Amino acid sequence: MDIDRYIPVIDDFRSMYLTIKFELLKHIKRKRILITLILAILIPLIFFIIPPLLGRDYADTANGFANSNLGFVNLLIILSGAIFAGDSISGEFENKTGLLLFPTPQRKSSIFVGKYIASVIATWLIVSLYYLITIIEVASIYGASGISVEIAQSFLLALLYSTSVVSIVFFFSSIMKKTITSSLIGFFLLLMILPIITAVFTVAEVDPWFIVTHNEGLVTDVLETVNEGGFGPGQGFNFTIFKPDLWSGIGVMSAYAVILFLSGIVMANRRKME
Amino acid sequence: MISKTVKCPKCETHINIQGNPGETTVISCPNCNIKGKFTFQKEKAEIKTISKHNIIEVKNLTKMFNDFKALDTVSFNVKKGEILGFVGPNGAGKTTTIKLLTNLLTPTSGYAYINNINVNKNPTKALLSVGSLIEVPGIYDYLTPHEILTYFGKIHRMKKNELDQKIKEVLKTVKLSDWEYKKTGSFSTGMQRRLAIAKAILHSPDVLILDEPVIGLDPRGIKDIRDMLKQFKNKGVTIFLSSHLLNEVKETCDRIIFLDGGKIVTQGTIEEIMHRIKIDTIEVEFLNQLTEFDIKKIESIPEINSFEKENGFLKIKFDGKPETSNEILTKLTEQGFKVVSFSTKKADLESFYVSIMNEEKGVM
Repeated sequence: MDIDRYIPVIDDFRSMYLTIKFELLKHIKRKRILITLILAILIPLIFFIIPPLLGRDYADTANGFANSNLGFVNLLIILSGAIFAGDSISGEFENKTGLLLFPTPQRKSSIFVGKYIASVIATWLIVSLYYLITIIEVASIYGASGISVEIAQSFLLALLYSTSVVSIVFFFSSIMKKTITSSLIGFFLLLMILPIITAVFTVAEVDPWFIVTHNEGLVTDVLETVNEGGFGPGQGFNFTIFKPDLWSGIGVMSAYAVILFLSGIVMANRRKME
Repeated sequence: MISKTVKCPKCETHINIQGNPGETTVISCPNCNIKGKFTFQKEKAEIKTISKHNIIEVKNLTKMFNDFKALDTVSFNVKKGEILGFVGPNGAGKTTTIKLLTNLLTPTSGYAYINNINVNKNPTKALLSVGSLIEVPGIYDYLTPHEILTYFGKIHRMKKNELDQKIKEVLKTVKLSDWEYKKTGSFSTGMQRRLAIAKAILHSPDVLILDEPVIGLDPRGIKDIRDMLKQFKNKGVTIFLSSHLLNEVKETCDRIIFLDGGKIVTQGTIEEIMHRIKIDTIEVEFLNQLTEFDIKKIESIPEINSFEKENGFLKIKFDGKPETSNEILTKLTEQGFKVVSFSTKKADLESFYVSIMNEEKGVM
């Protein structure tokens, strides 16, 4: 007698969880996490070690020290985003590993969401380590009282910026054929192209509030009050510096994160292994 | 209210359930705790047309790539436990068919069903009991076979102990036991192929879809895969096999479909195909060496289409009719040739393949 088998429920969350674990394993095995972790330790250590070696004093305040220390966190975020999210989708198509991965009983969208979350987790891990080292340094120089609410705010903003960076690179990964192209476009867009556009808008005296990289400054801006910029009259020239507003900055970074993540999922779902 | 017995997809425990037509019941296996659901079938017009015995059913499948029709209203089915060979030249549409069957592509029109489930509409269910090997897949070269197979086993809800044991078993089957914990980056093409086959068979699928499985394998590896396919057939696994190696297909498959230009050219069981292969060659051995004069005499026999010398034999092509064969023998002896042996030969599957492909293109 022929007896039908029942269909086991393939839980989308289980599929995502397995993908996240597998992606993180891949990042570990490819030593990507190791390399970025080393950078996350080395960069803040340089700011800690170099001043005494040169016979200079640290900043007067803990927030001032953290401000200069965290000046490089955005670069590390862009680098991590490009490394972790750059090949998340395009790699499966370029290397044809998708021929193994996609004909499995799991929704393609749950695979892609899992890949995105894994990239976010990996980038957050790097950012968290950078902040941990910075906080340890602050505590050792200024005492535990030096660890301010502003540093925590800066940390949360850095995580938000990381998420939007991963979304941007993830989107390029979902539309590009080559991994190297998606990684490089993401990297240079965030590091050069968007800052250049921001500068052009600034020169034209248009507030570039809608550009995500303009808002990355919030990560350090929250650490101390900076006056509205500009040289005064009679000093030869005059230009305006637009400082990002905290809440509109959070809104812009969140919008980039959500819109580009969703667009990436839609584009990745539409891709076929031809 | 309908009563029905279903079995757990993992441990095969039989479970009695009750429900109304169209109703979906949630089931939990009392033995292995695998949760699932079963829908009591309504009489649907589409479902009715699908034979209960067809594991794979393809109807009017068409795939366009812009203006190019890669697959043109292809229909076929594969019965339970059958091995179907899918044969055709490069660009015939074999891999396109396989990609449509595994939801890597979406059909322009038509449909593909596996276990009565529309692959395109419900791929997660349709592909549940399918193992596939498509083209030459990439391997995550920084991972070990154990890590790769663990991930794919977990997707199929295999438990850790069962999975570890099954990984060892499949790696032994594909002769990669010694490489379980070595990075695949150093693997040869043949080893990567064998690992991809191990991934396809890991979850003991009911249906295997294999695209050129022996490409890149040495003769020993080819024999191993052939033996493995026969073992799967004995276990009742349904196999859809695309291959260029015609003798491989002849050895392994129950039925063959010849595909060209996105269309099915011909199909049949191995017996039917072999029966259709015509006798078209006579092998003649002469007592003496043939001279230039002898060759000219043979050329003058009108019943001979062409001939060539091969290993001391004369291979004569003719129309295949017994009367013509008798006429050729009579004329050879009348002209004074001393014939030692005279026998007719059937064309092989390869010649049959070439001839039907030529017919399709209008080349005679």
